[in-house]
Amino acid sequence: MREKIKESIGQGKSELRRDVSVWGSYMWGFADVGADTYVALGLVMAYAQGATSLVFALAGIVYIMIGLAYTELASSYPVAGGGSYFTLRGLGDFWGFVAGSALILDYTIDIALFATASAGYLNFFMPFVIGREISSFVTTIGPFHNINPVWCAETLILIGFLIWLNIRGIRESSFVNEVIGAVVIATESALVILAFLFAWNPELLAYQWSTQFPSLHNFMYGSSIAIISFVGLESISEVAQETRRPATVIPRTSITLIFTVFIFAVAFSTLGLGILPWQVFAENIDNPIAVLAEAIPFVGLIAGPFAAALGALILFISSNTGIVGSSRLTYYLSKFGIISSWFDAVHPKYKTPIRTILVFSGIGLIETVLSFLTPSAMDTLANMYAFGATLGYTLVFIALIRLRFSEPWTPRPYKMPLNIKLKYKGRKVLFPVLGVIGTLGVGTILFMVVLTHSIGRIAGPAWVILCFCYYVWYRKSQKFPIFKSIEHNWEKQQMEVLSSAEEFDLLEQYKNALAERDKKRVDLK
Amino acid sequence: MTQVQVSLLGVIIAIIFTISMGGILWWMLHPPPQIKPEVARARRSVETLKRILVPTSGKPYSERGIELACRLGAEHQAEIVLTYVIEIPRTMPLDAPMPEAEEKANQALNRGKEIVELHHLPPVLLIEKAREAGEGIIRAAKDNQADVIVLGMRTSLRGVQSLWGRTTDTLLRKAPCEVIIDKLPEEG
Repeated sequence: MREKIKESIGQGKSELRRDVSVWGSYMWGFADVGADTYVALGLVMAYAQGATSLVFALAGIVYIMIGLAYTELASSYPVAGGGSYFTLRGLGDFWGFVAGSALILDYTIDIALFATASAGYLNFFMPFVIGREISSFVTTIGPFHNINPVWCAETLILIGFLIWLNIRGIRESSFVNEVIGAVVIATESALVILAFLFAWNPELLAYQWSTQFPSLHNFMYGSSIAIISFVGLESISEVAQETRRPATVIPRTSITLIFTVFIFAVAFSTLGLGILPWQVFAENIDNPIAVLAEAIPFVGLIAGPFAAALGALILFISSNTGIVGSSRLTYYLSKFGIISSWFDAVHPKYKTPIRTILVFSGIGLIETVLSFLTPSAMDTLANMYAFGATLGYTLVFIALIRLRFSEPWTPRPYKMPLNIKLKYKGRKVLFPVLGVIGTLGVGTILFMVVLTHSIGRIAGPAWVILCFCYYVWYRKSQKFPIFKSIEHNWEKQQMEVLSSAEEFDLLEQYKNALAERDKKRVDLK
Repeated sequence: MTQVQVSLLGVIIAIIFTISMGGILWWMLHPPPQIKPEVARARRSVETLKRILVPTSGKPYSERGIELACRLGAEHQAEIVLTYVIEIPRTMPLDAPMPEAEEKANQALNRGKEIVELHHLPPVLLIEKAREAGEGIIRAAKDNQADVIVLGMRTSLRGVQSLWGRTTDTLLRKAPCEVIIDKLPEEG
């Protein structure tokens, strides 16, 4: 018997609680994206060398366009599901599934990668606690060499703790994000200010720029890694359905996130090249920010352990956003008949999507164990990270363009800049020029990722194919079409969501826009 | 730890960084206040006014009505339908030629058009023939699916039987849409 699809996403007993504040919404994004820069700086330096700032700035421009697209879509459609929801609404069920599977891959990798990195930073303190370096636990198990079971166990414990935290509810885990995130932002800002004031030498930057410019291949590889450092914007829209007044709050938090992360990424890379030779960062890929902090006068003495603690914290909350994102995304996918409604269950006491938290955090745990069977767990996980994000973002851009044509009446509290007025089927449409440029930009990076990332180009598509097999099985079992869409009542859902979000002004705009559209349709008839 | 290295450019960047970070975080944390459902409904109901019909007689009070209509419709680029009604005596057929009245109508409509174009709004000019002005305005409102009629009233009602005047009375009773009446206080 066909499962009944419940698309009442704004109301009902299974409703997600609206507990995320302005600061909380911003912090979900910053926790994810801010940590990327923390890890990627050394990697990018190793390839982009004297041009690191330029590489971050170029990748940042693509990231800004992605961010603006998400800002428009998340404020217009403040529903859990993020990029996958936008793609489903714009391009239909099948493409919504493809985007969803790509983004779930990223979230599960996010859980594994950042928990691993967080444990790595914690291991900085291991010699002081037990008198042994983490590297002393490296061993060989059967055919697997260079295995570190202690580091792996630490990572699994961290993920387990985060699972428990998320089952308890968004209020608790959001609180953790908000407090830790505030400390991180304050500390990073202090580092940037002190470094520019007392350590930065513009002549050294100019010297490295003019004499240490990378080859074209290294420049391109550095760019593809730099884009990884901006992945995570999705998080804000993932918790849109739990955000108070999302249509008002999300444009503000997204734009602030885009600005702050871009500034931090460019500032750290500019500082790095103006304080130390790029080779120093390339030799300390695990803790580039700590190396930078250590070189700042007055704070340098305590900067090492402090930067390690800071790194562990920000990476920990980044891993947490992976759990939140994947659980919310799959919760929404089950609501729209993309995956089974078995995932739909909400914890009776805490009102959190318990099954999706357990299943997809479980996948994160498996990915962690598998990655620790390779010579470098961090490399393996990082290599897979870019594929899902760039595939998902490409589809989101296409969906944004399509939605401008298919739903021009939807009120958009924020629109991407640079639009051309067009007439399409008798309606006025604003064609997003930046949307097209963004599609080309992120599409190019997707191509570069497939070309240069040996594990990502195999594991990424393999994951999507695996998900496709499940999708075909599920849709057939429910007698749903595979490549076509089932009927969705977008308008009713939109009104329910806006009403439950208490976005009354936007709700009235939406009702008026629909009435005007209907009037025009009658006129045409 | 490196030696202390102070550069003017570094100081400037640090100041810009501090101000811009502080500024954008402050902006983010101060969203506009929430709007109640009733307030939102009232506020947005005006947005539905996309076609505004303005009867004109070429008199100053009716041209003030055009200006008011333009300001009302400016935000949402409403279409302003300027209507001049030529009242045909019952002794004559409705399609009887009235060259003098038509000339007067065109002059009044062209003056109105100038006002509308100053606001960069799309004007529509109509001449209606009817036995009574109110009847002609209502027909024009129905034919053009007007969302609202904005009527500038004469300032003096001396000698008029009804408080509102005959045309206004008809509009208030029979108009198919919202009606906004503007009446200035009597002079002297």
